[in-house]
Amino acid sequence: MANEAHGRGEGAGLASNSLELSTSLERSVQTRIFKIIVIGDSNVGKTCLTFRFTGGSFPDKTEATIGVDFREKAVEIEGERIKVQVWDTAGQERFRKSMVEHYYRNVHAVVFVYDVTKMVSFENLKTWIQECNGHRVSASVPRVLVGNKCDLVDQIQVPSNMALKFADAHNMLLFETSAKDPKESQNVDSIFMCLACRLKAQKSLIYWNVEREDGKVRLNQEPDPKTNCPC
Amino acid sequence: MNLKKSRNFGESSMSLDGIGKQDAGDTKRKRKVAEITQALNATPVDVATLRRMAISEGGLMSHEIRRKVWPRLLNVPDESIPEKLDEVDRENNKDYNQVLLDVQRSLRRFPPGMPDEQRMGLQEELIDIILRVLQKNPQLHYYQGYHDIVVTFLLVLGERLATALVEKLSTHHLRDFMDPTMDNTKHILNYLMPIIERVNPEVYDFMQQAEVGTIFALSWLITWFGHVLSDFRHVVRLYDFFLACHPLMPIYFAAVIVLYREEEVLDCECDMAMMHHLLSQIPQDLPYETLISRAGDLFVQFPPSELAKGATRERAQQTAASTFTDFDLASAQQQPETVLRRRQREQKQQQKQHGSTLNPQSGTVSVIRPAARRLVRLAVMGITVALGAAALAVVNSALEWAPKLDLLFP
Ligand SMILES: Nc1nc2c(ncn2[C@@H]2O[C@H](COP(=O)(O)OP(=O)(O)OP(=O)(O)O)[C@@H](O)[C@H]2O)c(=O)[nH]1
Ligand SMILES: [Mg+2]
Repeated sequence: MANEAHGRGEGAGLASNSLELSTSLERSVQTRIFKIIVIGDSNVGKTCLTFRFTGGSFPDKTEATIGVDFREKAVEIEGERIKVQVWDTAGQERFRKSMVEHYYRNVHAVVFVYDVTKMVSFENLKTWIQECNGHRVSASVPRVLVGNKCDLVDQIQVPSNMALKFADAHNMLLFETSAKDPKESQNVDSIFMCLACRLKAQKSLIYWNVEREDGKVRLNQEPDPKTNCPC
Repeated sequence: MNLKKSRNFGESSMSLDGIGKQDAGDTKRKRKVAEITQALNATPVDVATLRRMAISEGGLMSHEIRRKVWPRLLNVPDESIPEKLDEVDRENNKDYNQVLLDVQRSLRRFPPGMPDEQRMGLQEELIDIILRVLQKNPQLHYYQGYHDIVVTFLLVLGERLATALVEKLSTHHLRDFMDPTMDNTKHILNYLMPIIERVNPEVYDFMQQAEVGTIFALSWLITWFGHVLSDFRHVVRLYDFFLACHPLMPIYFAAVIVLYREEEVLDCECDMAMMHHLLSQIPQDLPYETLISRAGDLFVQFPPSELAKGATRERAQQTAASTFTDFDLASAQQQPETVLRRRQREQKQQQKQHGSTLNPQSGTVSVIRPAARRLVRLAVMGITVALGAAALAVVNSALEWAPKLDLLFP
């Protein structure tokens, strides 16, 4: 378990001599980190989606998320290694206000999820957007809308055009997908990749600024103005 | 999350760790069983001894014993529980939907070998217990994670006993988590860092620097670790301990886990995400008996009333947990509800008198951390480590904190 937490991509475990060690350190120094928060009603499939992206499969048994879970994945975009950190949050209303707050800080993107087979979860998006704005997430932070559970074709309640209209009105990209259907797995990846792409284009993002301090690594963040998204 | 080992379920005896020889363990176990039986048969039932047994090494050892002792620890004697359970009105319950979603996803809480049909039956009972308690106590609000606690009681006690005990627990130990908002829960989480600071300022500073927050411990606290431990034997062992103790004991236990992982924490990158990740993954092979004893020690050294001094006093006063005094060990309680209402009245009156508007939210940020107490190790540390947390009661009286162990719930 602990190893997993320390394992920062492939570089970490491999360093067998000091030369390799220093190059891998250098690499990690330059790895940019994108923080993405995933929000939406309980049971829409936030945990499954984030798991599909970071773990590559559909979890056969999920449990209610209590508080906030963290997952990460290293990706490569145009030759640059980027670490995508995904914060998977609890859907139940009582957790939103006081508990999740901390995790909205410094996020680079927000993923709103609804369940295409549950109209209520779509209607509640309004509250989620308010919630997000309430946490002072800047308007320049990209947001995407994800309609999940598209594999349940005969139970769909939220028509695509309705979702599209909503997404347009709120300046979001819309993805309709399924965390469950293996054929859709690329699509799930593309949600996060697209965001990463867009973020990469913003020169702004966090670099690992390493300052040695009592042998410990300290991080600095430098927000900067953004440029266009290639997606 | 997905990698959890399947749990072992059953009555299997806890191995009393620290005891090398099988025989020695057996003898010790037999002696403990005899002591428990004697306490149960005493008139009135010797609750103080039962508490000690539940805390001390190995806890209550089997589900059979738990079925007899847990009701006593909560002062819900079997004969006081009606044979017939209340009807449940599922459709008119505001929480039904969420409960259903959570229970349906709680497969991992059931023993792996259990036939589907039996599991599904238990899941129905689980829903009913939860809704029954909620409909009878409209002041209580369901939270995700509550089901992780209730399922433990169901698996150990069966539906009837579980309903009665969960209701008592919900109006006492879990009361703060069941408020309309999680403000009080957040407040209770605020006890975590001060405990860590007093024991290991270096770990504390490092965690503060990383701004890791305390949400990694949220599910530990509000599920009594039921959500995060995959071996059911460990879960029930902890429940023995928590049921015998002050409602804030789970937060002391959380602190003890973090402190136990000191090296890992200090080796971790000083970054919120990495540290949250590290801490929220509980190692499954924790030395539970040692940690329980340590949590007991910390409780004696830094009781909640002391941690709550100063800045957060006002907020602390609004939690149900604060209606329990430190060393009553949760036995001699007035209904927290009643106490809280009285306090509110008094506060209002005071405000009227002073013409001031007391902001109840003020000072919620952190519990006071008097630097002077850093690293001070009381003599009591040695005593309790030696005796184990079981000696709590003994040590208490030695220190002239008056434990009212034999008083019962009103
Ligand atoms: N058919 C289908 N079921 C899905 C899909 N994604 C998730 N589910 C199921 O929906 C349920 C909820 O999924 P979770 O990922 O736990 O939901 P969540 O949004 O994380 O819920 P909270 O943690 O309570 O906020 C689970 O039973 C999943 O198996 C999907 O794409 N298709
Ligand atoms: Mg979830």
